[in-house]
This record gives sequence, structure tokens and C-alpha cells, in this order.
Amino acid sequence: MFKIILDKELREIIGTTKFAVTFGVCAVLILLAFYVGARNYQISVQEYDASVTENMRQMEGVTDWANIDHRIFLPPQPLAALVSGVSNDIGRTVNMDVRGELRPEGSRFAEDPIFAVFRFLDLEFIFAIVLSLFAILFGYDAINGEKERGTLSLSFANSVPRDKYILGKIIGSFLALIIPLMIPILIGCLMLPLLGVPMNADSWLRLAMVILTGTMYFAVFLTLSVFISTLTQRSSTSFLVLVVAWVFAVLIIPRSSVLAAGRMVDVPSVDEVDFEKGKYSAQLFDERMNAMQAWTQANYQSDHRLMMEGMQAFRSEQQALVDEKMGIFVEQLNQERDNKADLRTGVALSLARISPTASFSLAASDLAFTSMDLRASFVDAASAYQQEFADFMRSKNADFGGDVFVGHGAPVVVEEPDPIDTRELPLFAYEPPPASEAINESLPDLGLLFMFNAFFFAGAFVRFNRYDVR
Amino acid sequence: MSNESASVDNTQSNSNSGNGSSAPRLEAFNLSKRYEDGVLALNNVSFQVAPGEIYAMLGGNGAGKTTTINVFLNFIEPSEGEARIDGIVAHKEPLKAKEHIAYVSENVMLYPNFTAIQNLDFFAKLGGHTGYTKDDYRDVLLRVGLQEVAHNKRLKGFSKGMRQKCGIAIAILKDAPAILLDEPTSGLDPSAGLEFIRLLGDLRSEGKAILMSTHDIFRAKEIANTIGIMNQGVLVMERAAKDLEGENLEDLYVQYMAGHTDSEQDVEIIS
Repeated sequence: MFKIILDKELREIIGTTKFAVTFGVCAVLILLAFYVGARNYQISVQEYDASVTENMRQMEGVTDWANIDHRIFLPPQPLAALVSGVSNDIGRTVNMDVRGELRPEGSRFAEDPIFAVFRFLDLEFIFAIVLSLFAILFGYDAINGEKERGTLSLSFANSVPRDKYILGKIIGSFLALIIPLMIPILIGCLMLPLLGVPMNADSWLRLAMVILTGTMYFAVFLTLSVFISTLTQRSSTSFLVLVVAWVFAVLIIPRSSVLAAGRMVDVPSVDEVDFEKGKYSAQLFDERMNAMQAWTQANYQSDHRLMMEGMQAFRSEQQALVDEKMGIFVEQLNQERDNKADLRTGVALSLARISPTASFSLAASDLAFTSMDLRASFVDAASAYQQEFADFMRSKNADFGGDVFVGHGAPVVVEEPDPIDTRELPLFAYEPPPASEAINESLPDLGLLFMFNAFFFAGAFVRFNRYDVR
Repeated sequence: MSNESASVDNTQSNSNSGNGSSAPRLEAFNLSKRYEDGVLALNNVSFQVAPGEIYAMLGGNGAGKTTTINVFLNFIEPSEGEARIDGIVAHKEPLKAKEHIAYVSENVMLYPNFTAIQNLDFFAKLGGHTGYTKDDYRDVLLRVGLQEVAHNKRLKGFSKGMRQKCGIAIAILKDAPAILLDEPTSGLDPSAGLEFIRLLGDLRSEGKAILMSTHDIFRAKEIANTIGIMNQGVLVMERAAKDLEGENLEDLYVQYMAGHTDSEQDVEIIS
């Protein structure tokens, strides 16, 4: 019985003009997303290569390591081609210094705001927006449509168990819709290496998980549609209910959860924090200047060289003290802000996860490693590199720690120094965490998507057992 | 033809009808249905339909005809009483009971994107017949009067009469001993109506027990063995058709619907 209903469902859906048209549109969009994503990735790689080359080029001819202006760059992630996540919103460049805070700057959207206006057509967008609508379009009248056509009563004039019927309907609809959609997705996957996106085993695993997550998300909207269809007697009513549910799930809940979290947890802005840091820095500067002045008055001596040496030593001591105080203050300030920001993020994401769309987007961006963790991971990698860079600069006597004290004395004639060899500079290499870590990160959202499916499936199942088939 | 093809041949039905047994196939026993809002849709309705008998149930809108059929189909559960199909209580063993009935609704819609044959194939399989061939479907469609040119066309272009014929073909394919027809001639043109009456006669001769709700007094008189009139959930009259010869059924119907007769006198069980 189950097989008969499943078979009917497959043939009924695939044989319609509605399916042919919507499938055609979706197939074109999916292939376009793969193509556009791959092209964007290529452009990002070119920009990244150009930035790295330009960074090295502008250091050519510099004769003192202390004068270099070194920057490091976030390499594009291959799967950002399909799930752009926040990869276009976060800064891709860090101005490297031997000390101090590192802050990524220069996001793609900041540099080319036009892309931010329309955003990119990626696979995540297609799943989240287009395919969820696709599921609603084919599921909204699963049960009440049969009732309106009179085929439900005719079917149940036979010895048809209701559980097998609803099971056949849901699984049949799912297979009828997802199998054809997998064709353009698989073609797109095969196109990726041909379009210049380097795919290793890790990337393929991530991509497979993204597609699995998308499939689960698609199933959520399909089971929801069938569930709503069993709750209503008219297909026009269920369609309206589902459109409203879609608007809430896709547009309202994720956005309003961020706003609500912002209301609940007050996080100082970066500017406010910077202002505090600046104020404290100015205070420390004044203290240091006063200390220097006091030292000069207390230690004045006629031997200019000795005095300069003493002053230099005191200045270094003072600088270390200032660095330490500033470091503690900045860390404390940053920690406070980070804690509040983490709390706000936690609240926002918890609220947003009421919507399956948020769960899907978070899981997909975790898997593609284009989530908010990307920025933190880049900053961590940059901080680790900063240590390496600082050691290198110290080895080159180029760590001056802020202002340079210039003593007055007879000019010394020295030979023209050789240019620095930029190849000596330690290389910055950024490696995203392995796929296994990304999968672990995405597990809560995958679990939620599973729960949504189970809930709507069970709802449809229970409700249909009491459905008036007349 | 396949093993199951005999089921569409009106001379070789493999149902257990026509075996000389006169035990009722369909039996309503003190059926009552009161909805949650308090409306009494059926009030102590009892009747029987024997093999090879057509029972025409007349009545206005809301009289309880369709409710009675729905109770037999277990689409609604009776508040009191039982609907039995071949002795099986419909609301107690619905799946078993439904093996013994075929059903044609008032407005057969079927799947508009399936062809006539695809619709027949699906519903035949639902009815437990998985061995039919395309020839079987063609034969039964020709039997119900659907021209061959329409057999492989999608139903969305079919007229109501054509869809109704498909519905009847589905009922025939199920080869059940009892058939429930809910306003089957509603909306059919006169020639299709006549064709339908001829077909019902054939099914009766196969030994099928047929319960038909209808507004069509003349066709009911023409084909039925027994005629019942329902009004406000009550079976107010039940008579053998032969007893009504010479009587103006239309006048009788109007009188019963207006409540101008003594129902105690007229309701008699036809065995």
C-alpha cells in the first residue's frame, strides 16, 4: 500500500506542468549559483594574490625593517563560493604590528558596496529562500487538496491504512521533489573543480554536509506544509498559513531575534571601547611624560651621552610599564565587551533558532567555515602570527615599542644600508579547522532541523489519523 | 486478459454475489448520528440491501442520504446503531469492511494530471487489484461508455460525465459485492444518465448490492428494487418499487418531504 501511494505521489508531482516550470527555474538558479560562486571565488583568489604581491612589493627597497608596513590577508575559503556566510562582511586584511590589538579591516562589501546591496546568489540563499518556497508550493495542498478533488474520500473508500497513506504522501512528495533537485546540484558540484575551485577531500565532505543540511531544511518545509494541510480543510487556507509561516521563519524571526537580543544585552560599541582606550592611553601618556620630566630634572648631568643612555633606559622602563598597564586595561575592556557580545550573540542565536531557516543558515555557514567563527579564527591566526612577527622584528632590532627617542648630538656619517630581504619575513599561512570540527559545530543545528522534521512529521501523522476525509 | 479480468466481465463476476444467498450485503441497523453541535443527522435508520438489489434512497438536501453512505464508509462513526457490510460492522473493522464495498461519489474528480487509465490503475491497486493490464482498463472504460480516444488523455480536460464514467469504472474494477453511489447521476446529461442506468442494471444482474442516494425520482423508479425516502435524518418511507407501480412517486415524494403522511404506516421492511 505504501509503495502504491509513494509511486502515485512521484508520478503525480513529476508529471505536472507546475513541476516542470518550477523545477526548470530552480535548476537554472542552482547552476547559476554554482557558476557565480565559482567566479566569485576566482575573483577573490585573484584579489588575495594581488594583495599579497602588493604587500611584498611595497616593502621592496626599504632599508630598515622598522619602516615596513606589513599586512596579512585572509585567503578565500573554497566553500564560500556556495555559502558566502559572513565571508564578504568581515575584514580580510590585518595591519601587522609587533604589539597591540589586531583588527581585520577591508571587507569585500565595504570595498564594493554594490555587492552588499544585492548580495550574492549562493546555494544557501537558494535553499533558504527558493527551495523552501518550492517545498510549500508542492506540499500546501497535500491532504486538503486531495479532499477538495474528492480523491481522498475515493482513496479511503478502499482498505487504506491512514498511517501508510500519510507516510507514502510525505516520503513520496519528498523524493519526487528532492531527487530532481539533486541533479542540478550534483552537476554544479562536478563543475566546481572545472571552474577553478580547489576541492580536496575535506571540502567535498563539507559540501556533502551542506547539501545534506539543505535537504533536511527542505524536508522541514515539506513536512510543515503537509502538517498544515492536515490542519486545514481548504488548500487556499493552508497556502496562506504557510506563506505567513515562511515570512516569519525566513524574514522575521532571524532578524527580530538579533534586535531583541540587542535590547536585552547592552554591548558597548567598538567606538565607545576605543574612546575608553584612547582616554586611558592619553592618561598613561601624560603620566609617562610627567615621569620623564621628573626623571630629567632629578638626573640632569653634564655628560650628555650618559644622560641620554640613562634616559633611554628609563624611557624603555616607562614604556614597558605603560605597555603592561595598557595591555591589562585593553584586555579587561575587550574581555568585558567580548563577554557581553558573546551573551548577546548567544541570546540572538537561541531566539533565531526558533526558525529552521536560522538553524540551516548557521549549520551551512559552520560547515562551509564562513560563519562568525571565521573572523575569530582569522584574528587568532593573526595573533599567533603577531608573536612570530614580533620575534622576527626583535631579531632585526626593529621593535621600537612606540615613539623613538632621538637624541641630539653630532651627526654620524654611515654607509647607505642594503635593502631588506622581504623573503626573510615569516609567512602567514591560514588553515581553516578540519571538517570534523565544522561538523561538530553544526551538530546542534542539524539536531534542531531533525527535531523540526520529527515534530511536523509526527504532527501530520497524528492529525491525519483524525482527519475528516469526506 | 489477466487473472482478474473476469471481474470486469458482467457475466463472470468472481464476487461472492449471485450465489443464491439472500443475506443482506448492506445493512443499516438503528443508525443514528448526532453531531457535536447537536444536529441529529440520522435518526434510527434501518434498512437492508440484498445481493442483486438496487436500493434508491431519495431525499432533499440534508435529509441524511450522504451521511448514511458515509457511515458505511466509516468516514463518520454512528452515535448509535451499526452499518454492516457482509456482516462486518463498518466502524469496528473499517479496513475489512471496505474490502467489500466500492464507492462512486457525487462529483468524481480523480487526479487531473493522470490519464483515465492511470487513474484506474492507481485506484485498482488501492482496491487490492494489482494484476490488471492496460487491456483490462480499456475494456472497462469501453464498458462504461468512455470512448477509446479519451483513455490516454489527462482527466483535466474531461467533462463531468466522462469523469463520472471513470468513477464507475473504478468501482467496477474493484469488483466488490456492494456498491455505494452518492448522487451518481447528478450533472449527467440525459444520454449519459440512461447509459448509467443500463450499467447499473448490468451490475445488479451480476449480483451486486447497490445503495444509491439520488434526487432523481424517475431514474430511481426505473431501476431500483427498493425505494426509501429520507427526511431530516429519518427514513420516512420504504417500499418495493413494484409496489409503487401505478402510483405517482413524485407526488408521494413531495408529500413525504412535507411530512403529510403517516410514516408508521409506510415504512415496511422489504426482505
